[in-house]
Amino acid sequence: MDFTFSFTSFLSLLTAVSLAPLFMGVILKVKAFFGGKQGPPWLIKYYTLIKLLRKGSVYSTSTTFIFKLGPIISFVTAFMLLLFFPFAGLPPVLSFHGDVIILFYLLGLGRFFTVLAALDTASPFEGMGAAREVFFSTLAEATIFVILALFFRLSGSLSFAEYFTGDQIVNLWSQSAALILLVLIALFIVLLTENSRVPVDDPATHLELTMIHEVMILDHSGPDLALIEMGAFCKMLFYSAFISSLLYPFHTGSGLYNGLIFSIIMTLIYAVVGLVESITARYKMDMVPNFILTSFALVFFATILTMEFVQ
Amino acid sequence: MNLFFLALLLISAGGTQALATFRLYSLMKVGAVTAIIGGCALGACNAVWRLLQHADPVSYSHSWLQTFSFSLKIDAISAFFLVPVFIISAVAALYSFQYLNDAKRGAGTAINYFFYALLIISMALVACADNLITFALAWELMSVSSFFLVIYDVQKKATRDAGYIYFLFTQAGALFIFAGFGFLYSHTGNFGFEALASIPDSAKLIAFILILIGCGSKAGIMPLHIWLPYAHPAAPSHVSAVMSGVMIKMGIYGIVRFYLLLEPTSALFGQIIITLGTISGILGVVYAIGKHDIKRLLAYHSVENIGIILLGLGIGMLGTATGNKTMAAFGFAGGLLHVLNHSLFKSLLFMGAGAVIQQTGSASIDQLGGLMKKMPVTGRSFLIGSISISGLPPFNGFISEFLIYYGAFHGLHLQGTSFLFSVLAIISLATIGGLAAACFTKVVGVVFLGEPRSDFAARASEAGFFMVLPQLLLAALCLGIGIWPAHFVQVAFEASRAIPLLANYEPTQFMPIMTNISRTVILFFLLFFGITLLRKLFYVGKEVTSSGTWGCGFTQPTARMQYTGTSYGDSIVDFFRPFIRVEKKYSEIDKIFPGKTTYSSHVHDSSEIGMNTFLVRPVLYLLNKLRWIQHGNIQLYIGYIVLAIVVMLIFI
Repeated sequence: MDFTFSFTSFLSLLTAVSLAPLFMGVILKVKAFFGGKQGPPWLIKYYTLIKLLRKGSVYSTSTTFIFKLGPIISFVTAFMLLLFFPFAGLPPVLSFHGDVIILFYLLGLGRFFTVLAALDTASPFEGMGAAREVFFSTLAEATIFVILALFFRLSGSLSFAEYFTGDQIVNLWSQSAALILLVLIALFIVLLTENSRVPVDDPATHLELTMIHEVMILDHSGPDLALIEMGAFCKMLFYSAFISSLLYPFHTGSGLYNGLIFSIIMTLIYAVVGLVESITARYKMDMVPNFILTSFALVFFATILTMEFVQ
Repeated sequence: MNLFFLALLLISAGGTQALATFRLYSLMKVGAVTAIIGGCALGACNAVWRLLQHADPVSYSHSWLQTFSFSLKIDAISAFFLVPVFIISAVAALYSFQYLNDAKRGAGTAINYFFYALLIISMALVACADNLITFALAWELMSVSSFFLVIYDVQKKATRDAGYIYFLFTQAGALFIFAGFGFLYSHTGNFGFEALASIPDSAKLIAFILILIGCGSKAGIMPLHIWLPYAHPAAPSHVSAVMSGVMIKMGIYGIVRFYLLLEPTSALFGQIIITLGTISGILGVVYAIGKHDIKRLLAYHSVENIGIILLGLGIGMLGTATGNKTMAAFGFAGGLLHVLNHSLFKSLLFMGAGAVIQQTGSASIDQLGGLMKKMPVTGRSFLIGSISISGLPPFNGFISEFLIYYGAFHGLHLQGTSFLFSVLAIISLATIGGLAAACFTKVVGVVFLGEPRSDFAARASEAGFFMVLPQLLLAALCLGIGIWPAHFVQVAFEASRAIPLLANYEPTQFMPIMTNISRTVILFFLLFFGITLLRKLFYVGKEVTSSGTWGCGFTQPTARMQYTGTSYGDSIVDFFRPFIRVEKKYSEIDKIFPGKTTYSSHVHDSSEIGMNTFLVRPVLYLLNKLRWIQHGNIQLYIGYIVLAIVVMLIFI
């Protein structure tokens, strides 16, 4: 395993993680703008985290130790993903050939425990959310692995560091830009799915029956809920960083300049998520699989195209 | 070899002494279980030692009835399959000590132990057989002994039916294997294994397919899996554990062994195996999601895991055919390691299910609930088994799936169909992984978490010590392989060295990757403990109270309102509707104040329906027409035999 002791790698990781809640504020601001409102303050998510961390918790009498494990594991697995991700073209803290497989499976582990924690409460609503979560994420996972297959076909790489800092860079400015364009669309759909955003899920809806992710964490409170929120921020940060690394060739520029461009692109991606949320309504539940399968079809098509292009 | 025979002798002594002492129930059980465990321990140590020492193959041959020779040989791949055979059988025997506790059924239990010993011996012999005749004999012995184990509860009609279906499948499968053997014999002219590699390519394909059908029906490859969901629920749980954990792997062993012996060069073999793996893997888990009976669900998961094993082997075969060493090495190592891994977590899960069924009296998932509090140890070990079988880190299922992924990814550089099959394998593995996680969150969530849905689930208590201990052992092994995979992967790779392409391949890629995985997993645990500590700190001095679950405004919840396994899996099952038939019956709500309503759903197995319509019914129709041949007249029957011999003499 390559372990980078570089100060900049740690710094980039810490900066990215500490900015994650701020980026979430961007979505809220964009939505407020379209709603003709002033919206919450930019730092709203930090205030929420601090508020939650200062509170105690109420546990349902139905729950077991799994209910408390859920938040911890979902946060740890999402955070581990970031340890392996090269932010703004800087080498990641850790990386090895094949790390993407274990990282996406760790995300699966986090989901496994989030879902179990939801079922632990004996609430029919949380069961409903859990059933949707496992179904939709299975479809999204298939897309992700086709993307990994495509990247391997293009570059022979099997880790984030190799994708974005190695010899064979994959991004929109490389030879296979046309294919990456399809990947970008697919990846954005996966981002919306995995982070429970509109049109797959509506984090701001008022009715438990129509929720996916939010309903699963109804019974969590206090620091537990803060961990879940932090995990969700990390996951969103990861997918956005993934997309932005595909959008811009960070391996060419230098440190500070790259960091600036990276932040701008990240802000734009979050703004687009907010934009999508402002101008579309969520799909009916039975439409969601089709929406996610669109992403699968796109990347599968791209992969088939490589049979002619990449010899 | 002597140690191997000593082990078998001890096991058989355990089985036979049970028959002699069946009137003294406890003594019989102690004697049988000790002898079987002792023999298995000896056999397992011997096999592990052979693998670690890279011992040269040993063989044994005994001439028999002048023409036949009874030959055994233990090479790396045999030793690799012997390890799960002995380990799982020993652990399941320990489990049976408290599981079989009906002192009134002394004779039945004794017979069970006798055939249990016979099954272990026959499986060991299958794994070591060194010619066609020995293989066929050991195979039949294995089928017959497992048949008697399945019909332990012979008073129940469901059990007898299950036994009948199992017997039909196992004998029909054996017919195909024997047909394949006959075909091979017609080309080589002897029963030995040595000459098989030299037969023509077209003959190799035909023989392989015949053996694949035969072994596949034992392994539970879809669509030949129909006996599994009948036999496993009917059999006692320790028998299900051994049958699902080890015996079906003998089908895989047959496929691997004859693949190695035939040394085919065509890529077609790998493509067939990958296609079968995809079908078994995906549909197996989808059917599992639709099932309500916990042991039936686990049986379908065996089909799924056989699919994963086949994907690994198929990738290996494709790599061999295309000369891609990384692909071949990782594919075979992954497939073989999954054989070991699946035997560990599947028997763990069957033992957990057996404990649940014994303590609650029900196997219906939708009637259970809240058992984590009542059966804490079984619940926790079942949770570990569930994470392992879903292929998630930090447990062993992930390691073998990782190897298969790695092999499949390295097949992406190939051109044409080989590329497409590599993509297919990757997509299948990803889909199977997601669906398996869906299925096992359902089982753990509905059976062990939440509130009990029935009185008997509320009254359950933890199973006895000897039923819990084996589960803990297996759970520890699952975690151990997950954290320190290097040696296990090494052993699995050594076993696949029998492939000529890999004979001189130095697995320089294995060790660093396994070390990296191991480090990542340890990092996960460190972070996990760190965050757990941090969370504790945040709760210091805080008010922590308990209350009912938030009912979203509804104040009179009942346990019956919880999401059931059926509703949990409904949307996924619906999604796969073209391949799966769901029958739902419910009374419509037609009044303003609805009365009592009912709902039932049943997921039908399409292959079962297909086999019924296209095979069973036409055959029955035909045989009905030929009924006049059976008239009960002995003289004419002898006439038939004479006639048959004469006809054969004329034609051959």
